Amino acid sequence: MKHLTEEQIILHCFGDAENSDAINGHLKECGACRATFDQVKAVLASIEPTPVPEPHESLEQKLWLKLRDRLPERRSSILQRLFSPPKWAVAAAVAVLVLTAFVAGRFWPRDSQRPDQVQSAQVDPQRVVLVAVGEHLERSQMLLIEIMHTDARSSLDLSHEQARARDLLDTNRLYRLSAQKTGDRSVEGMLDQLERVLAEIANAPSTLTEKDLQEIQNQVQSQGLLFKIRVIGSKVRQEETPSHQYSANQRL
Amino acid sequence: MEVTDAAVVAQVLAGDRDAFRILVERHSRGIYSVIYRMTGNPEDTEEILQETFLRAYQSLQRFELRSSFLTWLYRIAVNRTLDFLNAKKMTDTSPIVENPGPEEHQQEVQLRSGNPGPDRLLLSTEIQTRIVTAMKKLTPVERLAFTLRHLEGKSIDEIGHALNLKADAAKNSIYRAVQKLRQQLAPFVGAAK
Repeated sequence: MKHLTEEQIILHCFGDAENSDAINGHLKECGACRATFDQVKAVLASIEPTPVPEPHESLEQKLWLKLRDRLPERRSSILQRLFSPPKWAVAAAVAVLVLTAFVAGRFWPRDSQRPDQVQSAQVDPQRVVLVAVGEHLERSQMLLIEIMHTDARSSLDLSHEQARARDLLDTNRLYRLSAQKTGDRSVEGMLDQLERVLAEIANAPSTLTEKDLQEIQNQVQSQGLLFKIRVIGSKVRQEETPSHQYSANQRL
Repeated sequence: MEVTDAAVVAQVLAGDRDAFRILVERHSRGIYSVIYRMTGNPEDTEEILQETFLRAYQSLQRFELRSSFLTWLYRIAVNRTLDFLNAKKMTDTSPIVENPGPEEHQQEVQLRSGNPGPDRLLLSTEIQTRIVTAMKKLTPVERLAFTLRHLEGKSIDEIGHALNLKADAAKNSIYRAVQKLRQQLAPFVGAAK
């Protein structure tokens, strides 16, 4: 009788050998091959791992925060590039618009009652982001101040603060992207730091240990986050002063 | 209705970088589990996981929308792990113990407890030591192929796809791994029974 090869026996243990029916038949009749088969099975049975431990709750959030800054902007597809106008065409279109506005301004009948009130129609996108972010910063600042003043010995249930942090986290992301698009690096950088702290708070266990709370407080303190929020907040308020305001009528 | 992976990929390729977050949130836990099985270490697993998604993003244009994104991601994860094992010589530094202490638990693959009896405990410990030695003798490919087949329950085709091997080569890697393990462990496993 021809014995099975070691390879056949090993692969058969996994159900990966060819002619498994023939191998099963042989194992019933051949004690030597059966012994080898049982021995391989025993070796495999001795190698069993524990279950994979559940990763921490904020795995996805932290992973994304780490990844986000490393992901390069994608270049648009060939089709998009084909159908998007070339830069010279955009420049030409802008030039035509400016010229039209100039000519219209020269010949359009003016309202003689308030000639000095007409202001520039240009809107600074950075300023728009600053104004929009004002309320968000105030709410974030309040939350961080409360966290900073939480006494670890008296109360560690932060479920209410965590719900607020989750809301702020979503809004923060939108504002950070807006700041990124408008090129306001200082606001973007501050919102990025704020986002990381908000994520820490939102994803922490609802009942914190004293050490957990201390870590969050240290994070806020070490980055000078509250100070940065106050500085940017002050900038926002300056933008909202009457000398900078303009009404919809004035813009038109 | 949940947006399909293919739709999200198309969105990212169209220039919406932040849409990639959906894929990260959807698949990171599953891929974490696969990588952990091969490294046995949470810190290394997170590092490889990050590299996996980064590589996926960079190679997204090569992903064929008709195939499964998860399978494609899985393949990247296995290859990243293979690179990691080769680079760090994990086969020489990742021992396998039976009852890890608090510190060891973070770094080592734990094996099932064979028998609690005091007379066999010594023998069991000896087996674990032998397993450590035997696992060290596997090449990274053998170790991955064995882990994927024996511990992850992946099919030969899946292993071949993940490791970029033909089916016969994948089978051969598993065979060689088990052959080495058997040579080292058979006498002790037999005695422990």
